[in-house]
Amino acid sequence: MLIDAKEAFAPPSEDALIAQVKMGDQHAYAQLYTLHVKRVYGLCLRLLADKEHAEDATQEVFVQLWHKIASFEGQSQFSTWLHSVTSNIAISYLRKHKNWLQKVVSFEQSGMDEQSTTDCQGLNGLDKLVLRLPERARMVFVLHAIEGYRHEEIATMLGMAVGSSKSQYHRAKQLLKEWYENE
Amino acid sequence: MSKPDFETFLAESLSNSEAHIAPEKELWQGIEKAISNPAVEQRQSSVWPKLVGIAACSVAALLSVQLVFTRPAHDTSVAMSDFFAEQKQTLLVQYQNQPALTDNWQQQLAELEDAERAIKQALENEPENSALLKMLAQVYQQQLDLINKVHAPKWQTI
Repeated sequence: MLIDAKEAFAPPSEDALIAQVKMGDQHAYAQLYTLHVKRVYGLCLRLLADKEHAEDATQEVFVQLWHKIASFEGQSQFSTWLHSVTSNIAISYLRKHKNWLQKVVSFEQSGMDEQSTTDCQGLNGLDKLVLRLPERARMVFVLHAIEGYRHEEIATMLGMAVGSSKSQYHRAKQLLKEWYENE
Repeated sequence: MSKPDFETFLAESLSNSEAHIAPEKELWQGIEKAISNPAVEQRQSSVWPKLVGIAACSVAALLSVQLVFTRPAHDTSVAMSDFFAEQKQTLLVQYQNQPALTDNWQQQLAELEDAERAIKQALENEPENSALLKMLAQVYQQQLDLINKVHAPKWQTI
């Protein structure tokens, strides 16, 4: 029987990889990682606005995913599920690593400075501005405008009122507009 | 050529938004290590709940004191410094018998301590300057991060 070379050497589908990972196959997990790491890191970087924290959070996502993947039942797309897992881990990462002095004196974490955004590879014009936003405005903007979450969902995820989510979004847009027009 | 107005720029950027950004560092090895050896991961992470517990208790105590006595801004920097000194000492004692990942961490720490002294000096003249308070907070945090990172990296990357 002849074997179709394309079929024989084609990379396994995402579903096949997931099934293998569920059985504990680390080689398949490395392939799944390669498929998704850029999306996961992109989301972590936009949410956390810090390269080192985004790298840590990305590793945390993939370590937790290894343990959680058995609970993925395929009712939604894997990438959608992964995005939701990533958002929650990044938010919880930010809470855990919040500067203890910020808690004492209630400083809001500012975003990246302009120079650092220039040094970051692979960012488009909007990303460079988004990373400069203060923490709450940035998270709401990323989750709503880029990731497509509703304000009600964001309010639950970030533990804030729906009105606050909307006003932080408005604040983010105002700042982005100001920076864009002054560029 | 004039640039598009903000709403057009935003709409175009969002519709063309490329979600993919490659990390500059190799991350897989740290992940592989963590998933291959969950016992090590658990042992390493077991330090954190204790630290978080200590920090949480101290922060709660500090906040209570502030609420009761409604300290002026100047005292906040004093309270921050006291709290930081206690945290730093706890970490240094905890890690004293543990090898550090880099040789020059004490030199890095000394540089941060120099920065701390300079900011404190400036705060003597402007005790309510929030930018200076923020800088002091950041220098304190950097010192704690440095001590933690050189002794207890969460995921060892190569």
